[in-house]
Amino acid sequence: MIKNISKYYPLIPVLAVYLTMFLIGFYIPGMWQMVALLAFYCALGQSWNIFMGMTGYVDFGYVTFIALGTYGMALGISYTHQYEWLGIGIIFIGLIFALFLASLSALLESFIALRLRGAYFAIACISINEGLRHFIEGARIWGGSEGIIFYGALIQALGRETSNQLTAFWADFAVFIIAVLAATLNIYYMRSKIGYALTAVREDEDAAKVMGINTTKYKTIAFLTSGLLGAAVGAFAWGVKLAHVFPGDVFVIHYTIECIVIVLLGGAGTLLGPVVGGLIYGLSKYWLAVVLPGFQLLIFAPIIIIVIVIFPEGVIGFVKQKTKGTPLARYII
Amino acid sequence: MILQLLAGNLIHGLLLGGVYGVATMGLSLIFGVMNVVNVGHGAFIMVGAFITLTLFTALGISPVLAIPVALLMGMALGFFFFYTVMRRLIKAPELASLLATFAIGILLEEVVKLIFGADFRGYNWGLGKITLPITVIPISKIYAFNGSIVIALFLYFWFSKTRLGTAVRAVVEDSEGARVCGVNVGWIYALSFAIGIGLTVMSGVMLTMFIPVGINPYMGGVYTLKAFVIAVLGGLSSPYGAFFAGLIFGLIENGAYVLFAQIPGVAPFPLTVSLAFWMLFFLLLVKPTGLLGKK
Amino acid sequence: MALLKLENITKTFGGLVAVNDVSLEIEHGELIAIVGPNGAGKTTLFNVISGVYRPDKGKIIFEEKDITRMPAYKRAPLGLGRTFQIPRPFSSATVRENVAVGAMFGTLAGKVSVDDSLEIADRYIELVGLEAHKDKEAGTLTPVEKKMMEIARALAMKPKLLLMDEAMAGMHPRDIDEMVRFLKEIKEKENIAVVSMVEHIMRAVVGLAERVMVMHQGAKLVDAKTEEALTDPRVVEVYLGRPPEE
Repeated sequence: MIKNISKYYPLIPVLAVYLTMFLIGFYIPGMWQMVALLAFYCALGQSWNIFMGMTGYVDFGYVTFIALGTYGMALGISYTHQYEWLGIGIIFIGLIFALFLASLSALLESFIALRLRGAYFAIACISINEGLRHFIEGARIWGGSEGIIFYGALIQALGRETSNQLTAFWADFAVFIIAVLAATLNIYYMRSKIGYALTAVREDEDAAKVMGINTTKYKTIAFLTSGLLGAAVGAFAWGVKLAHVFPGDVFVIHYTIECIVIVLLGGAGTLLGPVVGGLIYGLSKYWLAVVLPGFQLLIFAPIIIIVIVIFPEGVIGFVKQKTKGTPLARYII
Repeated sequence: MILQLLAGNLIHGLLLGGVYGVATMGLSLIFGVMNVVNVGHGAFIMVGAFITLTLFTALGISPVLAIPVALLMGMALGFFFFYTVMRRLIKAPELASLLATFAIGILLEEVVKLIFGADFRGYNWGLGKITLPITVIPISKIYAFNGSIVIALFLYFWFSKTRLGTAVRAVVEDSEGARVCGVNVGWIYALSFAIGIGLTVMSGVMLTMFIPVGINPYMGGVYTLKAFVIAVLGGLSSPYGAFFAGLIFGLIENGAYVLFAQIPGVAPFPLTVSLAFWMLFFLLLVKPTGLLGKK
Repeated sequence: MALLKLENITKTFGGLVAVNDVSLEIEHGELIAIVGPNGAGKTTLFNVISGVYRPDKGKIIFEEKDITRMPAYKRAPLGLGRTFQIPRPFSSATVRENVAVGAMFGTLAGKVSVDDSLEIADRYIELVGLEAHKDKEAGTLTPVEKKMMEIARALAMKPKLLLMDEAMAGMHPRDIDEMVRFLKEIKEKENIAVVSMVEHIMRAVVGLAERVMVMHQGAKLVDAKTEEALTDPRVVEVYLGRPPEE
């Protein structure tokens, strides 16, 4: 499988960036929160890139995966915390719940993608998100609109010391791991049959079929991968870290937009793009929150517009053009 | 007893449906002409609500007069955004215009928040009510409904009888064909976008006649989502379809609310909203062109 | 066994009968031209064979297997290759990557790795004379280069039957002769049956095809050896509008 290791060299700059971020956060006091936030955006960006960047389909309700991931973790911990012998295992159970819920949603979207494209697909995905959120609130399942607060359950199962460590450090560390995993999957797909198939699907789905590509199979692979990664991010960055979940907090379309902006800014379909986009976006948001609190959206909105109109290939797309044919090109993909 | 409640609610639903219908006609028009989904739809409704609020509370102007004001201001906004942003995105992939309209929506929300603050506001028109055997109807709602009917009729005549309206319909059918027939398609795009936005802002006025409270910069989101459902129900490119779909939606929404409220242990309001989405979802799968659409 | 058998294929769109009861048999390694004026139903027939459309009536049998209901993507690995009249490259991918897609998902699907596919791609790119462009984005090629890439991509699939849709439209007569020679060479080397569809380029038809099927208004008019078919009075009438003067 990993026969030709030089194919994976482009992963090196990405890993270097993540490592640098981690070291800065770990050793410089006070930087961990910011670094964790950046890792969050990068991880989401890379996960979303597999969906939108590689297939060309836009799931406006992508946040559903993140939300389901959070709920999965919440439900997992809430239901199993009384079994003391499980110990730290309850976190893994939560993760499995999270991944399970996300895969249901991914399969549903695959099914929709059979029949809908473009704006119709985007709207259908939004409707899943909103429908699910309001159903939880309306039918009062999973805590209804009051959500689930499982901090207590966590402490009960693992003790105060461990719980604090989890929420303050290990949750964010997990996000780093997910980011690395997402980057690896990104490049693995790009270099394999899957990547070729998805490029074909993105460029000309009907021609792809005639060329022998089972478009449904590959789209499903992409949706599943992207959704599961997103759910994992949600499970840790929101689930374990905050130890609570409210439907009104998690099923919010703004997060999908953030993903889209990150990937567009950095360059959709590229490996480095989401990382760069995540960094730029995360840093800007953080800086704006400090300097001009309350005004972030006001500033971001016109910036989004400008980026879309003027800069559709994003930073990395632009850099790729400039470094074509140079040795650097091997690393900028 | 339930039936009476249901019937009363259905009447309210029908009245509200008219407002929903007009609110969605703008969305359908813009999609039909330019193939752009205005994701910031709700924000424009919110602008109309604030226009009404300001005119009434600051200047004492009746909301009825706010209607034409809102229309004109809406069209101005429409032209503005078209020439600054949307025009450059006609050739771009769909995602670009989806994001752009979303960003415009956010921009509007934030600007309004800057000017008016995030508090919830309202006004009291104080027109009184009509008492029917089964229910009580505030007169302002009747105004709102009448307004909707008048506007819908007016649009109907405009589309079918005037030159400009016909040109718009031609562009919806086939923009290349229309161009070849001498229609200035670029100008029609601008005009349609402006009218679409104008209609949307105007519907904000009528919405406040219905619900004169809870006016705040972020009120639009829910309406965007409902508008999507209605627009797809009526056929995404058919403004008339949108109007009738609005009526149907209003009926279903209120009817479902009453029925859900009978089930113990559930929260009827979010459940109704959830229903809207599952409706949209199945519609898209089964007949994306809507009940009344063509393509 | 015949490579491809079409039995009474009919396809209608609404009220229009695009393909009307067409039957045809193609043997391995044959070179056939399907000829007919615009609207005769040739493209629809190709679309039915490759699986873009389902026929309303009739059967498609490929090497004794009934593929009538088979989805398009399953037909390629069986050996059905196709080029399009207006080339459909995967624009943002390089020429090499485009052609490699053919190798990956054609008859060699599951037997070749990505690297093998790229090597196969290189061979065919050289064959069609595009090595100079192989790392360029496919979208930047000229129309003729795109056509050649289409052919390379289809060949990389190692098909048993190649459907070529108006491959020579818009070409200079000299290039057409080149193309004809090239296709003949391919057929020999790779033992592919080629079904070429042309509207009116008789130079290509005569040079290339051993057999010609003439279509008119969806139906098969004539199916015979080239000489015979082209001098058949019915064919002449369809093309010129009246029987030949004596």
